[in-house]
Amino acid sequence: MSGNEDRVAVAAADVWPEDAEADETAVVVNWFAREGRQVDEGETVCEIQIEKVSIDVPAPTDGELVEIERGEDDELSREDTLGWLAPD
Amino acid sequence: MDIMVAVNELQSMFEDMVTARYYEERLQEEYLEGKQPAFDISAGPIPGELHLAAGQEAAAAGVCRHLRDSDTVTAPHRPHHVAIAKGVDLKRMTAEIFGRRTGLSKGKGGHMHLFDPDVNFACSGIIAQGCPPAVGAGLAATKRSEDSVAVAFLGEGAISQGAFLESLNLAAVRELPVIFVVEDNDWAISMPKDRVTDVDDGSQRAGGFDMPGVRVDYDDATAVYDAAKEAIGRARAGNGPTLLEVQVHRRMGHFMGDPESYRPDEDKEAAQERDSIERLAADLRSEGVADDDIEEIRERARDRVDEAIEWAKDQPEPGPEEAYEDVFVNPPSGVTTEEPSHELAGGDD
Amino acid sequence: MAQKESQQAVERELTMSRAMVEAIGHEMRENEEVFYMGEDVADYGGIFDSTQGLLEEFGRDRIMDVPISETAYIGAAVGAAQQGMRPIAELMFVDFFGVCMDQIYNQMAKNTYMSGASVNVPMVLTAAVGGTYNDAAQHSQTLYGTFAHLPGMKVVVPSTAYDAKGLMHNAIRDDDPVVYMFHKRLMGIGWMPAPDGPKTPVPDEPYTIPFGSADVKREGEDVTVVTLGLHVHRALEAADDLAEDGIDAEVIDLRTLVPLDTETVLDSVEKTGRLVVVDEDYRSYGVTGEIIARVAEEGLADLEAVERVAVPDVPLPYARPMEDEVIPGTEDIEAAIRSARS
Repeated sequence: MSGNEDRVAVAAADVWPEDAEADETAVVVNWFAREGRQVDEGETVCEIQIEKVSIDVPAPTDGELVEIERGEDDELSREDTLGWLAPD
Repeated sequence: MDIMVAVNELQSMFEDMVTARYYEERLQEEYLEGKQPAFDISAGPIPGELHLAAGQEAAAAGVCRHLRDSDTVTAPHRPHHVAIAKGVDLKRMTAEIFGRRTGLSKGKGGHMHLFDPDVNFACSGIIAQGCPPAVGAGLAATKRSEDSVAVAFLGEGAISQGAFLESLNLAAVRELPVIFVVEDNDWAISMPKDRVTDVDDGSQRAGGFDMPGVRVDYDDATAVYDAAKEAIGRARAGNGPTLLEVQVHRRMGHFMGDPESYRPDEDKEAAQERDSIERLAADLRSEGVADDDIEEIRERARDRVDEAIEWAKDQPEPGPEEAYEDVFVNPPSGVTTEEPSHELAGGDD
Repeated sequence: MAQKESQQAVERELTMSRAMVEAIGHEMRENEEVFYMGEDVADYGGIFDSTQGLLEEFGRDRIMDVPISETAYIGAAVGAAQQGMRPIAELMFVDFFGVCMDQIYNQMAKNTYMSGASVNVPMVLTAAVGGTYNDAAQHSQTLYGTFAHLPGMKVVVPSTAYDAKGLMHNAIRDDDPVVYMFHKRLMGIGWMPAPDGPKTPVPDEPYTIPFGSADVKREGEDVTVVTLGLHVHRALEAADDLAEDGIDAEVIDLRTLVPLDTETVLDSVEKTGRLVVVDEDYRSYGVTGEIIARVAEEGLADLEAVERVAVPDVPLPYARPMEDEVIPGTEDIEAAIRSARS
């Protein structure tokens, strides 16, 4: 895979709750798209759990989900990327 | 203080309350072990649901001070503080919550289903379903001409349930020695009281059954003590049931793992601020009890809880095959060749 | 966008809860007489996510939190249904049926028959079922057989998101009362992780799955495994394990108990000659006995071996070693399949 410049990150920071502790760890609960799926902006692509609260993660743009970086049950922190979209 | 309660009674209530509070704090720690960062209800040393009663101690302590071992108490799904105030064996109760063979129910019941016949304590995990058995205990006392009483604890969410209302009526019409104690913590899981009943004061339900109804507006143990004294005295004297509602507070969510996203922050903060334990500590000081003595009670409570938890965690788990035991006290098939053991039927006689 | 949809190579996947909610939301948009009543279904979105997000779209008049008064609100659903509305009422845990069973089995289930079908009761009763997380005797049962035993209710038990959505569309549109029993462990809730399997591709558009059509979830030649709910996935896992040893099991997901698709079961047994029935309900007087009886009645000559795997007749114990013992596991199913073959 080439560099990230032509890809858009599905970023944990976009949905991270403001009141969550800075060092809190989240967990990926579900992915609703597999790699190769063409997603629409706003479509829920995955769900993460932080401090017992489930949060839906929407696609930031129209495009193909080209890489899932954090799979189900993986842990992540605020600065992590869940996956990558190749925009239309 | 306008309510006169003997200092030793205040101290005993305080000890029950700090024991219960520290117990819930310690169980919370144990429960969350193995459940972080992902909260998985079936992981860790204590699996399943866990409903903790922090903020509700005053109701249990104030009522149970007046009870004897021979008096019956039924508790709902949130039972620990009531069990502690009733004198349930703390070690065996804790072993039950950890699912151990030496637990009260040999690991079969779990935290919502604690039974200690030595002190006539039982639970049900089904809302309001502890009420009819409490009526039955009162009926037994009346039939046997004993002066014991029965107390059913329930939450304010339960006061719209048929089993509760039917029990009020039966207890009233038979003038049974039963006290219904509603712990009003304002929330039935996510449903605030004002959305599920049109009465602010749940004790008004008593009026429809021609039964005394009393509400204690603040979770003040001495006020509960006083109200319960009258109600239990009335029941013991053969003058029938009472409905008592006590305002309490839910400090730890409906169950562990409840994100409480539905609950306004101000309400959560208010519950943390209204602390009946500190209130009672202040009462003790104003009665001349020294700070050192108050601290000694706290230490004793902590030691007892820590000891119970350590003991419980050292206990053996039940073997898988034990699942098949205890469905009946008599063998389930055919005719028993032995006389049934009356010891197994519970009670303290 | 339609063109893009049709070109979509990789389908969207949903958890079972989201698939159920999608069907409910669709039906509520289509028919304003559909509404949902239950405890903690509004702000909480259902303790097991059965109504997640619906309050925001439909408001409190149609997503109704109700007092803890199951007799009253389930009975109210019966009454509203008899007025021609299409209520959905939720029993938070199926174990709570005990406090309201009259409204379920004497009113909801019988009013059609007792009236000579001059009235009907087009409602859905949803209920969370199942154990595997140590919630003990009053919160872990499935009770499939209890509801299926009593005439007058259709009984639905989905095992995948795809089935859950199609069956829910059917349930709401059905003119009779439908008990829709969803297994907590299959919902895909963060705090109760599901096994692999219930999360499936789910089409955006509505579709129905007819009641009484069992689904062959895995084809096989050697042994027929008939099951439902969570145990569809445990049976599939067992079948995969056994395939390595050259044993080829067929796994049939009943999907509905009433009506029951006996034909699919009989066809399979005709092929394999060996029947294993797996159930998370109690062993006696239940689903396992019923399936075996149907095969014995209509396909006895095909039957060379029978095994049943179910919860022994004890209440669900709390402690982990005992709960694991009584709820059938993958290895129990494997052993039964091997035994049926030997």
